[in-house]
Amino acid sequence: MYMDNIRNFCIIAHIDHGKSTLADRMLETTGTITRREMQYNQVLDDMALEQERGITIKLHAIKMEYEAGDGKRYMLNLIDTPGHVDFSYEVSRSLNACEGAILVVDATQGVEAQTISNLYMAIDAGLEIIPVINKVDLASAMIDAVSHQIIDLIGCSEEDILKVSAKSGEGVDEVLQAVVEKIPPPSGDPDAPMRALIFDSVFDNYRGAVSYIRVFDGTLKENQKIRFFSTGKEFEVEEIGVLLMKRRRTGVLGAGEVGYLIPGAKDVRDTKVGDTVILVDNPAPEPLPGYKEVKPMVFSGLYPSVSEEFEELRDALQRLCLNDSAIQFVPETSVALGFGFRCGFLGLLHMEIVQERLEREFKQNIITTVPNVEYKVVLKSTGDVVLVDNPSEMPEPGEIDHVEEPYVRASIIVPSDYVGNVMKLCMDRRGEYKNTTYLDPTRADVHYELPLAEIIFDFYDKLKSITRGYGSLDYELLEYRESDLVKLDILLNGDKVDALSTIVHRSKAYWYGRKLCHKLRSLIPRQMFEIAIQAAIGNKVIARESIKALRKNVTAKCYGGDITRKRKLLEKQKEGKKRMKQVGSVEVPQEAFLAVLSVGE
Amino acid sequence: MAGIYLHIPYCESKCVYCDFYSVAEGEYRDEFVSVLTEEISCRAKEAPRDAVFRSVYFGGGTPSLLSPEEIRSILDTLRECFELDESAEVSMECNPGTVTAESLAGYRACGVNRLSFGVQSFFEDDLAFLSRIHSPEQAKESIEAARQAGFDNISLDLMFSLPGQTASRWSENLRQARELGVTHLSCYSLTVELGTPLASIVNRGEVCMPVQEEDAGLFETTMRTLGDWGFLHYEVSNFARPGFECRHNLVYWNHEPYLGFGPSAHSFTDGKRTWNVTSIDRYIGMVRTSGTARAGGERLTRDQLRTEHVYLGLRSKGIDLEEFRARFGSDLVEDNRERVRMYVERGLLAVEGNRLFVTPAGFLLCDEICAEIN
Repeated sequence: MYMDNIRNFCIIAHIDHGKSTLADRMLETTGTITRREMQYNQVLDDMALEQERGITIKLHAIKMEYEAGDGKRYMLNLIDTPGHVDFSYEVSRSLNACEGAILVVDATQGVEAQTISNLYMAIDAGLEIIPVINKVDLASAMIDAVSHQIIDLIGCSEEDILKVSAKSGEGVDEVLQAVVEKIPPPSGDPDAPMRALIFDSVFDNYRGAVSYIRVFDGTLKENQKIRFFSTGKEFEVEEIGVLLMKRRRTGVLGAGEVGYLIPGAKDVRDTKVGDTVILVDNPAPEPLPGYKEVKPMVFSGLYPSVSEEFEELRDALQRLCLNDSAIQFVPETSVALGFGFRCGFLGLLHMEIVQERLEREFKQNIITTVPNVEYKVVLKSTGDVVLVDNPSEMPEPGEIDHVEEPYVRASIIVPSDYVGNVMKLCMDRRGEYKNTTYLDPTRADVHYELPLAEIIFDFYDKLKSITRGYGSLDYELLEYRESDLVKLDILLNGDKVDALSTIVHRSKAYWYGRKLCHKLRSLIPRQMFEIAIQAAIGNKVIARESIKALRKNVTAKCYGGDITRKRKLLEKQKEGKKRMKQVGSVEVPQEAFLAVLSVGE
Repeated sequence: MAGIYLHIPYCESKCVYCDFYSVAEGEYRDEFVSVLTEEISCRAKEAPRDAVFRSVYFGGGTPSLLSPEEIRSILDTLRECFELDESAEVSMECNPGTVTAESLAGYRACGVNRLSFGVQSFFEDDLAFLSRIHSPEQAKESIEAARQAGFDNISLDLMFSLPGQTASRWSENLRQARELGVTHLSCYSLTVELGTPLASIVNRGEVCMPVQEEDAGLFETTMRTLGDWGFLHYEVSNFARPGFECRHNLVYWNHEPYLGFGPSAHSFTDGKRTWNVTSIDRYIGMVRTSGTARAGGERLTRDQLRTEHVYLGLRSKGIDLEEFRARFGSDLVEDNRERVRMYVERGLLAVEGNRLFVTPAGFLLCDEICAEIN
């Protein structure tokens, strides 16, 4: 039976542990691609940004044919997974499309936080794990130590662990052989009503949404009418095929197979990751398990740096959404920044990627406000719960019964020497210590419960710096908890700067207000009048600074030859002023709106 | 009114703060005047039709390194090529260390009628810091000699906001200038220009420029003191006895046409600004082969003309609003109503009759104001 010859698997690895290189070698070994065809070092990361950051942001899949030791030909479907915590839901959907996973650990680095969290997800999904130690040819490889970490983690025996150098290709054939031998063929009922899992969707300018799917039961054919279980939307299948280096049309996908589906949908939001595709004529009664609405965790305001470019920014965001269904945005207005959008992101990395793509691919100049989480505000009068994703929309203190904020469960893996530093950092961030486990005598896994708001900016960078780059972090959303939170406003000459309002824990408000005022004093240039900078909670001013009035600004000389030069300076100055934001009578440079981010330094 | 500028690029030594183009005397010194007159002859046709030139200005560099004969030959060429007014103002910048009673008499005899001495300070150590080649005594003697030679229109350049300069020292400089009976004073705040030796020593932290407050204080002292003594403050850095405003400056600031000759000189005619090459080598070579040495130019758009008109006006005696309307077809005050109102309220701008101008307080913040008034 054909399903016996199919293996669906993925690779789990921490950033830079060699996932993409291993994938590339497998493609080469199976003849899916020749070395010459490899324009870039790593085929699977085909977005420019991904190449640069060296991380796989969007997942993809590829089909390989492999003749195993038993002389039979196998169809291997490698499903790529993103490596960052922001995309853990997408990772879980990819894992669910597989029966096995290759666990790649860098021989010079050892097990990291993300490896563990993804590994647990894979074990939860019932996948067969093939442990691989990569980079064994490097002088700094610690094969024995890393082997023990892996054995402790998954309880395998030493012989099960494959030693590989993805770079040189050493051991790659053994990995392919293990995929065939150890990973079970797909289960699923070819005769049951068709069910397929969407594990990713991308947007194609010519074809609209393209979904990457794994068929579990039944068979899916072109021209059939399909329905997406969660949205209920119906489409007629335009095209079906498998994923080689490019899409190859096959017209049909059977149970156990992985491929693509073009449903003729114009919007990727119709083809949600994790949703189940069923047939309209012979609908399966139950969806595949595990579908979730993806919810943004981090919010920030995006504004055009020149207010006339609002419509352009809207267009850019709309086009970006075609490719990235996880972004949410709604128009908002800020007194300080004018018209813009409040955007929701999966996490901080996702936010940075979106900002960078807007700037690079869509040539937008944007101002981003400080990111924040979504708060649940319980009102005194009615007991109603209001969701607040923009600090300036926080109700007045008198109306609030209490505020709840999201907490995460964080796992931080560090060399044991740095545990003290990590604990101090987590304490500063209002963390609640849970426990510490040891992967081996030198590596600790420290567990904390932390407010999400405390880790969305600069926590990761701080962690890296206090652990000399060795610390790794993973977290998952835990629950909302009541916290003593207040809204801190910034006023310039008495005018509230809404874009600078933040929600902070009361215990930190004074420190933070002072720091922020101080920072702003250095960022706002002297103007023709004195500027008072105040930090306030409600009507109570808790910190203030002032910027003295500008005393003198006049060019001493302006004769024949200076006139052109002076005019050009003036034109530049006027251009610069256009980019300043007006708050009452005060002109605020754009950098000031991100001042909050660097307050801790 | 139209003016002529002549750039004489030679200096005995380069001053620490100076970013004008200058070279040592050796370079093409012998042929310089003949090449300059060649350029003048070749470009005579650039003069606006029917233009009468009422101002000639020898700048540099150090024009007083030229002999009276050389100055005479240049002026003769100008008279041949242009309609030069009988009573034209003919100014010459002088370095006090470079003139004698004879040379001064010679300049006067060939038609120079206004001298501008680069005195900068009457204190020995200031002059040493600025790397000037003259002493305070030489400055006073030169001015006296100029008067003896028949010059009655004499200007001094002075500098304030030198590192470590006290208010009393600056007041003393002003007092000495007054005592010398000059008719005109240019008082510049020392500016650190990119690429000058001053910029490097400031960047290296060897000297510390005064802070804005001190600089502003000295400027205020200047305006108040010279105002009390009857000098008119007719441009940011320029003060004159009534009737002795430098006509050549007014050409620049009133957007009147001017022709500039010599390396790095700028010209402005017919809404077009052009400039010569800055290198003496290239200047000599180009004039010899083609009669001109233009390096570049720009035709000003209406908006650019307007921008310049506004800031040149605000930096000097103000803007004639009627004339502005005639020239640009809109009402400047109306176009900037909010800003103008705010600045008038704060005492930075004033409107009297048809004239919009900055007040003494406004002069301090002139660049800020110019950036806001369009």
